[in-house]
Amino acid sequence: MSAAAQPDRLTPPPLAPVTDDPDTGGFFAAAADGQVALRYCADCGALLHLPRAYCYRCGSWNSGYRVVAPRARVYSWTVVEHQIHPAYPVPYTVALVELADEPAARLVSFLPGRPELYAGQELHAWFETLTNGSTLVQWRPADSQRPNEEVS
Amino acid sequence: MSETSWQPGACAIAGIGTSDFTKKSGRSDLTLATQAVLAALDDAGLDASAIDGIVRCDMDLVRHNDLAEALGIRQLTYWGECGPGGVAPCAMVGQAVAAIMSGQASTVVVFRALNGRSGRRYGAGSTATGQQAAGGNGSYDEFFLPHGLLTAGQMFALMARRHMIEYGSTEEQLGSIAIACRDRAQANPAAQMYGRPLTMTDYLSARMISEPLRLFDFCLETDGAAAVVVTSTERARDSKNGAVRIHAVAQASVPGTQPGMMFPVLMRDSITALSSRAVADLLWSRSRLGPADVDVAQLYDCFTITLLLQLEDYGFAKRGEGGAFAADGGIGLTGQLPCNTSGGHLSEAYIHGMNHVVEGVRQIRGTSTAQIPGAEVSLVTSAPPPASSALILTADR
Repeated sequence: MSAAAQPDRLTPPPLAPVTDDPDTGGFFAAAADGQVALRYCADCGALLHLPRAYCYRCGSWNSGYRVVAPRARVYSWTVVEHQIHPAYPVPYTVALVELADEPAARLVSFLPGRPELYAGQELHAWFETLTNGSTLVQWRPADSQRPNEEVS
Repeated sequence: MSETSWQPGACAIAGIGTSDFTKKSGRSDLTLATQAVLAALDDAGLDASAIDGIVRCDMDLVRHNDLAEALGIRQLTYWGECGPGGVAPCAMVGQAVAAIMSGQASTVVVFRALNGRSGRRYGAGSTATGQQAAGGNGSYDEFFLPHGLLTAGQMFALMARRHMIEYGSTEEQLGSIAIACRDRAQANPAAQMYGRPLTMTDYLSARMISEPLRLFDFCLETDGAAAVVVTSTERARDSKNGAVRIHAVAQASVPGTQPGMMFPVLMRDSITALSSRAVADLLWSRSRLGPADVDVAQLYDCFTITLLLQLEDYGFAKRGEGGAFAADGGIGLTGQLPCNTSGGHLSEAYIHGMNHVVEGVRQIRGTSTAQIPGAEVSLVTSAPPPASSALILTADR
């Protein structure tokens, strides 16, 4: 599915995420397994997003990742028209999404081109495997059939 | 909010200075800083030997000892830094006040210098390549950069879009902010956009950078520097141009502030209010003033949307009505809150918030090129991400 972000052979691959950070690595490990997971306090259940080890609410160090539904809604978006980085040829869209199970948690997603989006639009996760083997959680409209469908 | 024993007007700004503002200075950051500080010292009628403290911005390439050596300062007894980046300037002034009030220094230079166009361009985004993994080490960039979210402008575009979703704000309202700042620059020969007026047609026909933000929603990229000299109000009264009182200064974060340098603020409960709203509460409390008392404001304007959000955060406009406030002339010379009278970051220069402090002082002195007659309360803000600061300057009379 990595073709979505590589419209032609001259485009370098997307920036890969650091996947072995002690605080955030679990998110990317889950992504590699095809799951969306958020970090929670195992004792009081507080959401710890962006991921970190310590629970500010109950003082526990006992936290870990829990799988959530791979569904989200559009919170905001921007269509990038000014070229910044060779791995991201314009136009493309960055969406800010809120997770269906956990609206307090947001993630961002790459979408090729200028897709028609609206606030609250339902999105489904898909998992983009990069050439270095790491995996990104990306989102596309729930009614979209193909990951690299480009609407411009 | 905690009660603090802030002492209004105990310290003052005694001198202001800038370099010229260009796209290619041909000079080092240190030379730009030195020029701005020498101008501020000359403005105050002080010699470098009077300086015993320096406060810098964390993103400045010039360290305190670089500047001390360049100026021939014999001994520093205090130095400090604030950040990140544009959050700093008003907080830097606050740090100078703290150093003076605690007896660690008597006269402190606060400066910002950057070759923002010919050197490191903040709008250029990450320089990481496909060979380097992005993020880690507490940056949280791994959640953003790989998805193509690369620059501050793209992030503020997400905020602008969300403001449009929640409140129906329009592109023309953003345009009115760009135009107001550009209008002010037409009176300021030092402004980079002097002699280049902007119409709404110009604004709307400019190229889209990151929708809904167009070219003129973005601030300038500038090679330049700005500096102020902070000392006790008593000492400042003896300076060449007198004292401009630092009536109140505040820096504040919000609950759920989020980690990292920039993008994680998108995780906050709201992205249409900035941490400026917390600064406002503290600033009004310390100053015992309110929005209606402010005669003129220099609002941090890295983007038009940043200024719009602060109109709401500081209580000049109701939540959601910042765009209408601006479009109805509220930030113009004869409006309720004349803003960014030197042209701001959008049209004078981008000195990362520091030229706003300089212009805020000019308004109290009566020496702005777009002077608000009789201005006695001058607001200056420095803005997010991820926190904010602000100060209120008043006349010593």
